[in-house]
Amino acid sequence: MATVKLTNVKKIYDKHVVAVQDFNLEIADKEFVVFVGPSGCGKSTTLRMIAGLEDISEGTIEIDGEVVNDLQPKDRNIAMVFQNYALYPHMTVYDNIAFSLRLKKTPEDIVYDKVTKAAEILGITDYLLRKPKALSGGQRQRVAIGRAMVRDSKVFLMDEPLSNLDAKLRNQMRAEIIQLREKIDTTFVYVTHDQTEAMTLGDRIVIMKDGYIQQVGSPMDVFEKPVNLFVAEFIGAPKMNIMDAELIVEDGKYYVHLLGAKIPVDGFKGELLKERNVAPGKIKLGIRPEHLTLTAEKSEKSFECQLQVNEMMGSELHLHVVLSDGEKMIARIPTINLAPEQRAGLVAGCTFCITAEGKAMHFFDAETEKNLIFD
Amino acid sequence: MSEMNQLETPEVESKPKKRHMGIKTQRVISNTIIHILLVIMSVVWLVPFVCIVLQSFRVESTWQVGYIVPQKWGFDNYIALTKTDFFTWYLNTFIIAVFTALFQTIVVLCMSYTLSRFRFRGRKGLMRFMLIIGMFPGMLSMIILYRILADLHLTQGNAVPGLILVYVASSGMGYYVSKGFFDTIPKSLDEAARVDGATRMQVLFKIILPLAKPIVIYTILTAFMAPWADFVFARYISMNTSQGMNVAVGLYSWLNKDQIAGKYTTFCAGGVLVAIPVTVLFMFLQKYYVSGVTGGAVKG
Repeated sequence: MATVKLTNVKKIYDKHVVAVQDFNLEIADKEFVVFVGPSGCGKSTTLRMIAGLEDISEGTIEIDGEVVNDLQPKDRNIAMVFQNYALYPHMTVYDNIAFSLRLKKTPEDIVYDKVTKAAEILGITDYLLRKPKALSGGQRQRVAIGRAMVRDSKVFLMDEPLSNLDAKLRNQMRAEIIQLREKIDTTFVYVTHDQTEAMTLGDRIVIMKDGYIQQVGSPMDVFEKPVNLFVAEFIGAPKMNIMDAELIVEDGKYYVHLLGAKIPVDGFKGELLKERNVAPGKIKLGIRPEHLTLTAEKSEKSFECQLQVNEMMGSELHLHVVLSDGEKMIARIPTINLAPEQRAGLVAGCTFCITAEGKAMHFFDAETEKNLIFD
Repeated sequence: MSEMNQLETPEVESKPKKRHMGIKTQRVISNTIIHILLVIMSVVWLVPFVCIVLQSFRVESTWQVGYIVPQKWGFDNYIALTKTDFFTWYLNTFIIAVFTALFQTIVVLCMSYTLSRFRFRGRKGLMRFMLIIGMFPGMLSMIILYRILADLHLTQGNAVPGLILVYVASSGMGYYVSKGFFDTIPKSLDEAARVDGATRMQVLFKIILPLAKPIVIYTILTAFMAPWADFVFARYISMNTSQGMNVAVGLYSWLNKDQIAGKYTTFCAGGVLVAIPVTVLFMFLQKYYVSGVTGGAVKG
């Protein structure tokens, strides 16, 4: 159990390739923080710097108040689960889990107790005498977690632990990690490129791009209040629809002009625009696919589109549409809200109108791509 | 047979069937040719060795005869070896080979691990330099090495430590094969072990070397074999001093005009004894030449 503090951390490879830039973050005791971002954003590098597997070019990393920049991984009291499991193939599962304890010259009876307890928690007791090659992907990942568990470390680091598993197993293991967290009750730093994993596991999410932190916040915060276009598009599946629009003010009230439609910005978003005195003009408008609704008739608040692809997902439809200006959008429409004849009518080539409420809209500066009401 | 021909002839035009039969027949033919070739090659390789073994047991004549199978069998030639310097040479060779194998293996494995896992300034340049230097024949350095060893009094009667020194000194350059093998072992295993609390030395001995067993065995065998069979350098350093000779040089000294008539079969007996340690080594260690020890280490 420990706090982790990264101050102005920077990582430069070969004197000019900047992998991580100005990374500042405080992770509280027992907090579960997820680093998420596309490939090459620096999330794994940051995790490896915390682990001591990469040197820090600039800045400091503290674990429980102690600067660990120059400490070897073994002296940092951390445990790590690797993406490719990194199990020792010449050792049995028991020996793999016991390896770190034996290095510390732990008495064999204590080793036995700890290994069997970890194996019980992870449900791998039957495989203790097997070698890693005789295990499935999920079992191997459990062994890797077991190996980290028995160390009783201050910080538990996980580097894309589920990315090698198939979708079904990934969902199952994700649930198991949530349960495991309750049992281990320590500080977690978890790296993933999967925003669903980040949203479901993390107390806080750190979204990264090109070595920079874009936003740090709770899953709900980053979903509802993305600070820029990158975060808005990265969090949420399918990703947020982004369109060129115009923000106008009439009688002190904000409206969005989009493809001939004039949609009033009601509710707290309108209030916030007013409060911030946002200047009218060209903006990037973001609308999540689930916040779009089909309308029966064309109105002032709706705009026309043509259906390209209709994906039937079971509980909902993913409608890929083209707008009159050639822009593409995706709308998520719950099937329960559609009458059978409506559903049958949604075939490629058909045209219909869609709309969104002002409170569901996200407003970004057309130049800086920053959110106009949240930062 | 004719019935078969009748059935097969029309099928020549039927493409899939013809191809199926063709592949099967082709495989049988190629396997037969390969086996015949292998048998011929084995016979060619084995005949000289069988001749030497048979002649080492021949007692009716110590000189060459016009037949292979001895008329009179016995251990006379082996007993005759005990009355010569043969076992001094044998011991010399054994000491040189064992110490060279030991030190060379340590140096090569440490060098390979370092070059595979550490990144330091000049690493690539060093590797290229050693690769290029290794391409020059060792004979080029023979004269200067002799002078150095002579100054250190490690020639002639003291050739054994001199030869060990020479063989071990150049061993770091033989890093290439084992470095290549270490490169195939995932680096995440090192990292996992380091996070688990292992030092670099523990990583090498507890993780890397057990996984690199085939390459360790290969390194030991090659390090043992080279000095065991060395002739040119050993002859030059020992300079006709029997006390400092290895078996290859010693046995060769019997092949001069004066001695060959009385020592030919003893020479064969010596040759057989020279082959025994190497044969035994290979018999015991060949089982380690298996790949796939890293199976299951990472997702495959």
